[in-house]
Amino acid sequence: MAGKYESDPEWASVTPIPLDDGEESGAMPLASIAYPTEYLEATSYLRAVMAANEMSERALKLTQDVISMNAAHYTVWIYRAKILFALEKSLEDEVAWLNQVALKYLKNYQIWHHRQVLMSSRKHFPTLPPKEQDFLMDMFAQDSKNYHVWTYRHWLVRHFKLWDHPREIEDINHLLKADVRNNSAWSHRYMLRFGPRDDQLDAGMANAGDMSTTPGEKGVLAVVDEDMVDAELLFAQEAIVRAPENRSPWWFARGVLLASGRGLTEWEEFAEKFVDGDAVKSSHAIEWLADAYADGERDIQAAEMLNLLKEKYDPIRKNYWDYRMKMLDIPAH
Amino acid sequence: MAAIFNTERHVKYYLRCLKTFLPSAYTSNDSNRMLLAFFTLSGLDVLGVLHDKISPEERQGYIDWLYHCQVPSGGFRGFSGTDFGTEKRTTDNGAWDPANGPATFFALVNLLILGDDLSKVKRRECLEWLPKLQRADGSFGELLGPGGNIGGDRDLRYCMCAAGIRFMLRGSGGKGVEDIPDIDVPGFISFIEACQAYDGGMAESPFREPHSGHTYCAVGSLEFLRRGGADIHSVRMLTPGSRKFETLVAWLASRQTGELGDDDEEDDEDEDEDEDEDEADEDAQVDTELTSENATNSLEERIVALPALTALAGDESIPCAGFNGRYNKLADTCYSFWNGATLLMLDRYSVIDDVRNRRYLLEKVQHLVGGFGKAISSTSYFGMVSLAFQGEQGLARVDPLLVTTERVIQHLESLPWRS
Repeated sequence: MAGKYESDPEWASVTPIPLDDGEESGAMPLASIAYPTEYLEATSYLRAVMAANEMSERALKLTQDVISMNAAHYTVWIYRAKILFALEKSLEDEVAWLNQVALKYLKNYQIWHHRQVLMSSRKHFPTLPPKEQDFLMDMFAQDSKNYHVWTYRHWLVRHFKLWDHPREIEDINHLLKADVRNNSAWSHRYMLRFGPRDDQLDAGMANAGDMSTTPGEKGVLAVVDEDMVDAELLFAQEAIVRAPENRSPWWFARGVLLASGRGLTEWEEFAEKFVDGDAVKSSHAIEWLADAYADGERDIQAAEMLNLLKEKYDPIRKNYWDYRMKMLDIPAH
Repeated sequence: MAAIFNTERHVKYYLRCLKTFLPSAYTSNDSNRMLLAFFTLSGLDVLGVLHDKISPEERQGYIDWLYHCQVPSGGFRGFSGTDFGTEKRTTDNGAWDPANGPATFFALVNLLILGDDLSKVKRRECLEWLPKLQRADGSFGELLGPGGNIGGDRDLRYCMCAAGIRFMLRGSGGKGVEDIPDIDVPGFISFIEACQAYDGGMAESPFREPHSGHTYCAVGSLEFLRRGGADIHSVRMLTPGSRKFETLVAWLASRQTGELGDDDEEDDEDEDEDEDEDEADEDAQVDTELTSENATNSLEERIVALPALTALAGDESIPCAGFNGRYNKLADTCYSFWNGATLLMLDRYSVIDDVRNRRYLLEKVQHLVGGFGKAISSTSYFGMVSLAFQGEQGLARVDPLLVTTERVIQHLESLPWRS
C-alpha cells in the first residue's frame, strides 16, 4: 500500500531519501527501533526537503507530522522555525498550536525552546503577549514543578523585564498558597527579588559572574532594600509555620540573608522556638541552629544539635551528621 | 525483597536490548539512539560480559555503525535519521544534519567501550567545531544551526558533554592539535560557578532551581577539566571547608529520602528521563493552613501550637532510602546515580546511608529488568551503576565521570595523543 506522501500529488515532485542505517555497507546498527512505516515515510520526505533546503507550506506541514511522532527530533524544530520566518507566517498562530502540543507532551523541552525562539523575535513580539502568563499557569495546573516551563518563565522575565510585573509575584503567591512545598516557585521568587536586572550579567548569585568580585563577596548584593528583605524573611517565617518540615523556606531564608549580607544568627531566636527541649517541631530548625552555633564558634552547642538530628530526627543522614561533627572543634567523648 | 543482585537476569536483559529491535514506542527516542546504545554497551561491560557475549565481527559492525554516524565536518549525529547522504550535503543544508554535542560525547565513549582506537575520528575537525558551540557567557549549546548559530538551551548537560569531548580528544597536552584554539576555560568555569543556587545545589543555568542531574553535570564538567590538567584550585565549590563546597555537600546529602513513592511505571525512556519524578506526598507533618481563627494569632502563638515531631529511634523505622532530584520530590532510581556519582567526585560518598540505598536499589533494578518486553532504560542502567559504586558483587568498578568501567578509562589513556 502506498504511503500517505507517496500517494499525495502535492509530494509527487519530491524523491524521498530512505533511511540509511549503514547496514548496506556492513555496519550493525545499535539501538535499532522497530519504526512504524508512517514514521519511516515521513522522515524520508523530511530528509529530502531538508537536503533541498526547501522553505514551503508542505514542508511546514511535514514538520508537524514528524513532531507528532518524535517531538524530540533536534533539527525538525529548528527547520520549522526557519520556515516560519522565511514564509512570514503568523507567529501568534504558531504559539496557539504550540499550546496544544505543550499540553500533550508535558515533558518535552524542545517545545519550550521553540517557544523561546519565536518569542525572541522583537519584531513579532515587541512586548509580552497578554495571554502568555495565563498559559504558563495552565501548564502549572498540570505540573506545578515542570522544570522546562519554569526555565521558559525565567527567560521570559529577563527578556521582557518582568521582575516587578505584578503578575509574576501574584502567580508565585498563588502557587505557594496551593503548595507551600513547591520549590520551583520558591526559586523563581528568589530570582524575582534578588536576580540581576537589566544590564547586569545573568550570572548566578549576585555578581557571581563578575570577574572583578572576590570569591568571598560573591552572592552578596552591593545595594540592599532592607524593607524588601525583611518582608521576604517574614514571608518565609509564615510559610515555615504552615509546614515546619518543608526545607524550601528555610533555605530560601538563608539565601535572603546571604544576599543581604546578614548572618544566620539573625534567625537564631526564631529557630529556637522550634527546638524546645523534647518538643522539637522542625528538623530544619535544628540544622539552622547547628550551623548558626558553628558559625559563632559555639561548637559544643552545635554538636548537641547535630546529635539530635543523628539520634532522633534525621537518622537517614547519620553519616552526614557525623561528618559535620568531625568538622567541629570539640573534645572527644 | 531481593537480597542479592541477580547478574544472570541483567545479562539476559542487556543482551536482548543489544540484539533485538526496540519496540516502536521508542520512535519518540529516535534522536537519542546514541545514548541508548551507550546504556546497552556499557551495561554489558559493567556486567563483565561485553567481550564474551559479542563476537569480533559484531564488535566491528557496531564500531562501523558509530562511524556511520560521524558527520563529514567532524563530530557525530545522534541517530542516522538526519543523514541525507554525503553527496547531497552542501554548506546550505548541512545545518539540518549537524554534529550534536551529547551525541558526539556518547559516540566517543561507545567507541572506547568497544575497544576502538578512535583513529577514524575526525579529531581535528571535532576540536575545531567544539569552541564554536561555546557562548559568550561561557556555556555550551547543543549544535550549530543555520548560519552557525548556537542551538539548544542553556543547559549544563551540554557543558558536561563539551568538557568530556575536550578531555577525550584534546588530552591534557593537546598533542598534535596545539594550533587549534581551545575552548574558553575561565569563562566556562565562571558559568558553572554561577549555576550554584542559594542553597548549594546546582541549576541548569544561573538563578534556576537546583536539580541533581545538573549538579552532576556541573561537578562533572569541572572534573573533566581537572583531569585534563586545568588549574581549578581557585574554584570555591570544589574547596573543602568553603561555604560553597559544604553547602553543596549538604544539598546532596539532603536528597536522600525515605519517601519512595510507587514508581512502578514502565520506564518509557522519555527523552527527558531525569524528570520522571513524582510529587512527594504532603509529608506527615501538619500543614497548618491559615484559618480565620489562627490567622490573627501571632507567629509565636502559632509555633507554640504546632505538634512536636516524633523521634525516629532505631534503624528499623525506615528500611529503605533512595534519592530525589529536587526538594519535596519522591525518590527515583536514577537519582541514586546523579547524587551518588557527584558525591564520589567530591570524595564525600561516605556521607550517604549506603545500606538503605542498597536495599532500595536492589528492589528497584530487579523489577526494572524483569519480564519480557522491558526495553533499555536509563533507570535500569543508573540503578545498576549505583550498586557498582557500592562494590556490589558481580559488577565491575565504574568511574563516576565517564560512567564506564575503569577498563575503558585505561584504554583511553593508552591512545597515542595521551601518552
